Amino acid sequence: MIEVLWHGRGGQGAFTAARLLGAAASLADGRHALAFPAFGPERRGAPIRAFTKMADEPVGNRSAIAKADYVVYLDDTLLGEGWDGELKPGGMVLVNSTRTFDDERIVALDADGISSAVLGRPIPNTVFLGALAALCDRVSIEDVEEAIRQYMPAKLHEKNLAIVRKAMEAVVHRPEQAPLPTCHLEQVPLPICHPERAQRVEGSSASATESAPTEPRRPEAHIPMLRTGALDPEKFARSTCFEAGYLTVKNAGWRNMRPVIDAASCTGCLQCYLLCPDGTVFKVGEPAAEGAPVAIDYDFCKGCGVCAKACRFGSITMIPESEADAQPPCHPERSTEGAKSKDPARRQPADQGTQRQESEADAR
Amino acid sequence: MAVNAKNISDDEFFFGHKACAGCGGSLALRAALKVLGPNAVAALPAGCMSAVGFNFPQLAFANNAMITPFAATASVLTGIEAGLRAQGKKPDDCTVVGFAGDGGTADIGLQALSGAIDRNDDVLYICYDNEAYMNTGIQKSSLTPFGAKTTTTPAGSNTRGCLTQKKNLFEIVAAHGIPYAATASIGYLNDFIRKVERARDIRGTRYIHVIAPCPTGWGCGVDETVDIAKDIVDTGLWYLAEYEGEQVSGVPGGRFKLNRDPKEFASVDAYLRRQGRFKALTDEDAAAVEAGRDAKWEAMRRDWRG
Repeated sequence: MIEVLWHGRGGQGAFTAARLLGAAASLADGRHALAFPAFGPERRGAPIRAFTKMADEPVGNRSAIAKADYVVYLDDTLLGEGWDGELKPGGMVLVNSTRTFDDERIVALDADGISSAVLGRPIPNTVFLGALAALCDRVSIEDVEEAIRQYMPAKLHEKNLAIVRKAMEAVVHRPEQAPLPTCHLEQVPLPICHPERAQRVEGSSASATESAPTEPRRPEAHIPMLRTGALDPEKFARSTCFEAGYLTVKNAGWRNMRPVIDAASCTGCLQCYLLCPDGTVFKVGEPAAEGAPVAIDYDFCKGCGVCAKACRFGSITMIPESEADAQPPCHPERSTEGAKSKDPARRQPADQGTQRQESEADAR
Repeated sequence: MAVNAKNISDDEFFFGHKACAGCGGSLALRAALKVLGPNAVAALPAGCMSAVGFNFPQLAFANNAMITPFAATASVLTGIEAGLRAQGKKPDDCTVVGFAGDGGTADIGLQALSGAIDRNDDVLYICYDNEAYMNTGIQKSSLTPFGAKTTTTPAGSNTRGCLTQKKNLFEIVAAHGIPYAATASIGYLNDFIRKVERARDIRGTRYIHVIAPCPTGWGCGVDETVDIAKDIVDTGLWYLAEYEGEQVSGVPGGRFKLNRDPKEFASVDAYLRRQGRFKALTDEDAAAVEAGRDAKWEAMRRDWRG
């Protein structure tokens, strides 16, 4: 059985692609396929998975795919630590990215670029049908095209057929090995386990030094606490008498744009604080000399951009996550406020970073 | 003292929820709970906010909160309030508050709401109105405006979206002689916060109807939620008003008050055209929407001023 695991965000069409692939793989007599999605009550932008199983006999196993022949990432911010654990031996990763990766198992494809050129907006899902037709013997490009004709609305046929053709060519004629610059996977963000929020706060206050920019901390407020990254079943509610506001886990993986506050022009009008649908903008109790009076909790920010739009002083800009991650921890041009906006892991002084890694290891 | 951005509680009582980025409904809940404080007890029927707030084993509410049957939001509020009082466990600053969507209020939960107002139970009912059943994938409710495309009112060559007009729920509620009712919009969040604060301090049944755009269902950008909620008020297609019942205003039959009376309206056409759901509307349809607005405002300006 050939198994394909799709990672995408709600709204990107991961399930549609999984279904079309299954349809393409089951057109011929005696060929079977099963496609299904896995998502919680989360919404648009949340990471979701979808699965396609292709075989010569009817597929009865409806359980999620743990190890796949092909793992597709419709959004490269979802490609994080532990990615190779999802691959069967000899398996391949296909990722929607303009970066290159120094691992031959990863094929990067500018699916946003390919789909934008045809559709006028980036809808990456069908690009990977063309890519899989090129890579996987199980499906031919003709089958993919037939599946598109049978399962997509007529008005979408022409453009999606063009997309799969272009994608197939892009894969067939891809450069042999990764040219520079190479992206090392250690730099890929989104760790899967997260240390406790409380620990993080303690850590940053304990070893805060005057010279190093430290993360602004939330004032002692009553909010649902992040007790642990991986929820311990011991802590689950077992009766109706359960402490309110007990558990939340972070939403940061939803974001591909990140709001960054420019402390110099921020007036502290608090409109961003007031209007954030997720309550992730918080007042900084005693801002540092050049710090902004508000800061953003990137563990929970979904990157909607309401704050940037609400800011009358243009103090909040939305920057792509990839750009934010690519910047070194203390970029000279960005000074204090820039450093402040980075991911906590990269923002902390070196000794603290080690401490955090240790606690992260403990959490696992 | 009026609650504003500076003095509003730093506590977050609706946090870490799984709503879409830029969700208007979640902003309404967050703001309301920040005003009502830790002793508020919330009840939510089926709908977006219960789906994104209670993800076992996670819980995005810091105060007590529970899910009610779809039709029973107001009845459950009644029960919670009576139960807390009977057990002597109701603190002075405890507001029993319901958050229901437009479908859960105007369609499915209307009877229970009417009953609660009739009994004048001491509860606050907040309807966050995103103008369709968004949780189940955008189906028309009776608060969906004319011309909006939903999955049950599709726009195509034969039909151009929702054929009915938005139900006038605020006045239906007011017609019960409720102590306090108000309309609001998350685009004018300070006004909403003021109304929640006002409602908190009034006894008896209170009702607030807040417009909370849904970027997914309205077909607008995720960063436009607040802006579009402001736009709908500026165009006059929604209005900020209050109704004070006889108990509160002392006026027989109660009194309506228009909180915002713009001299000039923003463009209705621009408001409609910026949303994917109104894509199929013709210019005549847009003109009809505008004419409907003018008629409504003529009546409101005549009856609700002074």
